[in-house]
Amino acid sequence: MLLHAIYPFTAVVGLEQVKRAILIALVNPHAGGLLIGGRKGTAKTTLVRAAQELLTPRNIIELPLNVTEDMLFGSIDIEYAVSKGERRFLPGILGKANDNVLYIDEANLLRQELLTAVLDANTAGFNHVERDGISFTHEVNYTVIGTMNPEEGILPGHILDRFGMYVDVQGEAEIADRVEIIKRALAYGKDIAGFRKQYAESVAELCELVNVSRETLKQVEVTEAMMQLAAQMCAQAFCAGHRAEIYLLEAARAIAALEKRTYILPKDMQEAAVYVLAHRMRTPPEAQEMEQDQQENEEQEQNEEQQSDEQDDAPEQPDELPPPPQLPDNEDDGSDEDSDENNEQDEKQEQEQNSNQLAPEEQIADIDRSFKIPKLVLDMGKNTTLRRGSGKRSATKTDLKQGRYVRAELPKAKVEDLAFDATIRAAAPYQRMREANGCALNIQKEDLRQKVREKRIGNTFLFAVDASGSMGARERMRAVKGAIFYMLQDAYQKRDRVGMLAFRRQKAEVLLPITRSVDLAQKCLAEMPTGGKTPLADGLATALLTLARLNKKDSELEPILVLVTDGRANAVEEDGGDPVTAAIKMAEKIRKAKITSVVIDTENDFIKLGVAKKVAQAMGASYYSLNQLSKEQILRIVRNLGE
Amino acid sequence: MKRTAVYPFTAIVGQEDMKMALILNVINPALGGVLIKGEKGTAKSTAVRALAELLPAMQAVHGCRFNCDPHNANLFCDDCAKNYASNAVCHIEDIKMRVVELPVSATEDRVVGTLDIEHAIKHGEKKFEAGILAQANRNILYVDEINLLDDHVVDVLLDAAAMGINTVEREGVSYSHPARFVLVGTMNPEEGDIRPQLLDRFGLSVVVTGEHDPSQRVEVIKRRLAYEDNADDFIAGYQEEQQALAEKIMQAREALPNVTISDALLETVAKLAVELGVDGHRADITVIKTALTLAAFNEHNEVELVDVKAAAKLVLPHRMRRRPFEEGQLDWNKVEAFLGQEA
Repeated sequence: MLLHAIYPFTAVVGLEQVKRAILIALVNPHAGGLLIGGRKGTAKTTLVRAAQELLTPRNIIELPLNVTEDMLFGSIDIEYAVSKGERRFLPGILGKANDNVLYIDEANLLRQELLTAVLDANTAGFNHVERDGISFTHEVNYTVIGTMNPEEGILPGHILDRFGMYVDVQGEAEIADRVEIIKRALAYGKDIAGFRKQYAESVAELCELVNVSRETLKQVEVTEAMMQLAAQMCAQAFCAGHRAEIYLLEAARAIAALEKRTYILPKDMQEAAVYVLAHRMRTPPEAQEMEQDQQENEEQEQNEEQQSDEQDDAPEQPDELPPPPQLPDNEDDGSDEDSDENNEQDEKQEQEQNSNQLAPEEQIADIDRSFKIPKLVLDMGKNTTLRRGSGKRSATKTDLKQGRYVRAELPKAKVEDLAFDATIRAAAPYQRMREANGCALNIQKEDLRQKVREKRIGNTFLFAVDASGSMGARERMRAVKGAIFYMLQDAYQKRDRVGMLAFRRQKAEVLLPITRSVDLAQKCLAEMPTGGKTPLADGLATALLTLARLNKKDSELEPILVLVTDGRANAVEEDGGDPVTAAIKMAEKIRKAKITSVVIDTENDFIKLGVAKKVAQAMGASYYSLNQLSKEQILRIVRNLGE
Repeated sequence: MKRTAVYPFTAIVGQEDMKMALILNVINPALGGVLIKGEKGTAKSTAVRALAELLPAMQAVHGCRFNCDPHNANLFCDDCAKNYASNAVCHIEDIKMRVVELPVSATEDRVVGTLDIEHAIKHGEKKFEAGILAQANRNILYVDEINLLDDHVVDVLLDAAAMGINTVEREGVSYSHPARFVLVGTMNPEEGDIRPQLLDRFGLSVVVTGEHDPSQRVEVIKRRLAYEDNADDFIAGYQEEQQALAEKIMQAREALPNVTISDALLETVAKLAVELGVDGHRADITVIKTALTLAAFNEHNEVELVDVKAAAKLVLPHRMRRRPFEEGQLDWNKVEAFLGQEA
């Protein structure tokens, strides 16, 4: 398809590492495929598509994100079934990809169960299909190449691990290179055919190299010594499992073949390690070449981070942090930058705090972006939780005719959302037995299939924040804002909807009606003043009202109430009743309305009254004390609720 | 169906950035579209719909579902490529470039295309039924409220917009066809964000605000009233202006391939991109393409610094590297200072 418009592989400026990784993947399918990560506009996709010309006679088969399962795994051949009345298997993308390259653009956006299935089938070596009355198994042997932009979340560790190699694309920083890139892009835009002709020779040479290397590869042997080396390297990198060694050796074999050798040298192993170990490394080994560039850039930032860690009295060594810098992780990046800000902010804050102490009545606390964590258990948990956050929040099956059609099922009641393709597949084998009705297909009731749709939706979070004077004290508001900030950050990635209300003085106030703009919520949070009494009951009442209104408007979304309070309800009720009793009464109403809720108790005083806990019980809410919460736990709370 | 009257493009008061961004995309469809951000009632949709009147005629392969360009065999769809290879006679027809709307509620199968059910039932054969992306090939794809588009539809747009190909593997059909379109989106930022990846697919972006000058506001009202009073007369009143603009666009289209740019300016743009720390290379390339197009529109043979500056204003603001909650705003003073110093 559009073979004549491919941008020549050799015309891509720079990106030597990525090009090399692609060549390795093309030469040796056993190297486990390749995942390319990089920000937008760094020629990831261009390069992979360009690889088509290096593959001939093999092909790049694309796996589009909107693929339906029948097309991916294969299904019954409708046309054959209609004409012959027999069931025959029609291979899907996996079948077509056999002996070819399977390309997944934006791999992090593909449904994860599909991605896992695609990778696992390749590892297993066969694709087993049981669907539409067909039972079929066929061999598969393809090379998976995926690209992703980590901005929208990255893949969870267990999926990353299934890719043999990972490589990160950076934009060129050299001015001369950038100019060259522009020039070539313009030249290509002006005259595709002419441009391609210029590079035809170098592309043909490279294609020849790939084909020759594939032959050479068969003769490249793995010696005992190299196996030892592989095991050593993987052990040093603290790789989990034993996939790494195999991929390492296979990649090294490909490198040797590309160098026209039939034996592996240690330097091949080192080069292979750059691609194979980058995304598996649990602890950065000392002096890994590939890290140095980035580390130099980040050194300063990291130093700052270390300092702030020390300030936080965090017991762990920063060395034990598992930061694989090759893996641009959203939140890691964010925190690097944050630390810059922190320092500035800390200074600002100190100043502000000094001035705030003079005016205790009303104050605006900063967001504590470093949000002090009492005891942070730094196992791999951190990385995996962060990664688990990729994609969108909850997959909900919807019965509305919206969302992505993922598979078909037998209808349980009246068919409303007919899956035409599945229906036809079901009907096809029986056509020869059925009476002709003028159409090629005679469809009967028992053939009907219905679509199962899945929609990834964000959740709706309403933050009800206690902004009374008691909260403003002793930096508590800063920590609270820090905690909410983390939830908002998560919400931003998942594109959740958020709202915010604050209660203080005599009443609760909706600061931000439910909106999709998490940015606004963050602004709102930053500007939230504290001071005055705690009208907890009114806060809950307003929350209930806001959510009830929402529920009517959009019954599909299940809202979640996050109440942040110290529970010191003390605003006088209109009827003169006890503020705590009133709050508990209101909390019971919320439970009756079946609203999922979380209470984050910020009570920090020596004498604990435990009102927030009682409110949480009355509300049927999960209860957490802010003091015991780490960032990770906060994210986990939010995620568990969503999933 | 009688075509409803369209408010003339040239009758829109002010909003020069938006109008220019749209015009540039008509002149050079390779710019990558435009995202128009603004509050309600700032003539966003009016402008995009009005653009249809100014769109040039183009040649297409007769009967091709994807309006293939008969003069560009590199981008043929499968059918056209097959005919071309077998030297079959190719009939050419003149069609008008048009604005294809993608409603926010559109389902994925309608967007990418799906199995032709009628054909399947009648003939027992599979056939691909083209969707909106097929219609959009070589046309303008307009998505109103693009920030409210369902995620899975956005994924599809991302795919197609990146490479100009729509690959369909669903509901029993396997098909791919060219889908090169100018993506025009409008959004009201108050109603939520747009995904960063989709944002990056837009070549240009403009922010529209309501006019603040009272006399301009009065003019807006006057014209609207006159239009509502008698649309035909109103449109006729702008006939000449419309014609002139359409011609200017045609001339710019013809002049574009001959506009040149000096290496020094290329370097300036590359430095600017590094200075601002934008992601990837799309920003550089788009600034240059936009500057070339601007020069063509202004009837210059060579790009000047002013063109680069004007282009930067349209291209860079939405490409500033942006983390969650960072303003990520373009410091225009910095750009001006930088370009001033380079000059």
